[in-house]
Amino acid sequence: MSILDYFKPVSTWPAEKIREFLNQKSPGEYNLVDVRQPKEYEQGHLPGAQLIPVGELPNRLGELDPTKPTIVY
Amino acid sequence: MEGGIRAWEGFVAEGIPEAGMAYFSPATRAEEMIALAWLLEDGSCRFYESLAKMMEDQETKGLFQNLKRSEENHKTTLWKVYEEISGKTSTPEFPDTVISKEPRGDVMEGGMLVSDALKWSEGKTPEDILQLSMSLETNSYDLYLKMERKVEGRNAKQVFKALSEEEKNHLERLTYLFNKRL
Repeated sequence: MSILDYFKPVSTWPAEKIREFLNQKSPGEYNLVDVRQPKEYEQGHLPGAQLIPVGELPNRLGELDPTKPTIVY
Repeated sequence: MEGGIRAWEGFVAEGIPEAGMAYFSPATRAEEMIALAWLLEDGSCRFYESLAKMMEDQETKGLFQNLKRSEENHKTTLWKVYEEISGKTSTPEFPDTVISKEPRGDVMEGGMLVSDALKWSEGKTPEDILQLSMSLETNSYDLYLKMERKVEGRNAKQVFKALSEEEKNHLERLTYLFNKRL
């Protein structure tokens, strides 16, 4: 096996698809997570996004509802 | 979300390259996992070494030099574990006999090519480069957590656990400097 055989592409959604999804759903139907840093979050974020900086994710996964789709940026 | 917040705001995404690939854990043997980890560490070493040369700011340069040394130590640790598991005392063939070497030396965490990442880094701000490095360390942390869960053998598990903790520490150090520069 070549080293690249150990990786596969991660599927992502374009911003327009996310916008459409958020418009169709109510906030209680999904987890929307901003994994950037607090200062970046303060400068602007998606409406209703929950701030969990990437380094804190392992310890804060319990704050997300695993039964709902999760959008991360 | 593709392109992150800038794409949402209607800008053409010019942020860090998407971590478009993820390790999906087809490795089943401990030797294979160790060889894969070694090759990725090797790629990361090259990346950090080049970044350290590229940086003018002494604090950022120092951090990349430090991370390069740390990834070198990880390679040594992984080699020792390979020898222990394979029962061999001399293993010059490692990791070539375990994983095909192509494109050796040019792949790092997240399946990203070192050459692509360095090309992207040219002319970028230290903040952009720190952000890219944070995404690499996140991938690395994730990889070792997955390997720790999958590998059999108490010692190998402990090694992957220790490596995941060190990668988390790298992520924290990069995050600290990134926040400081914001």
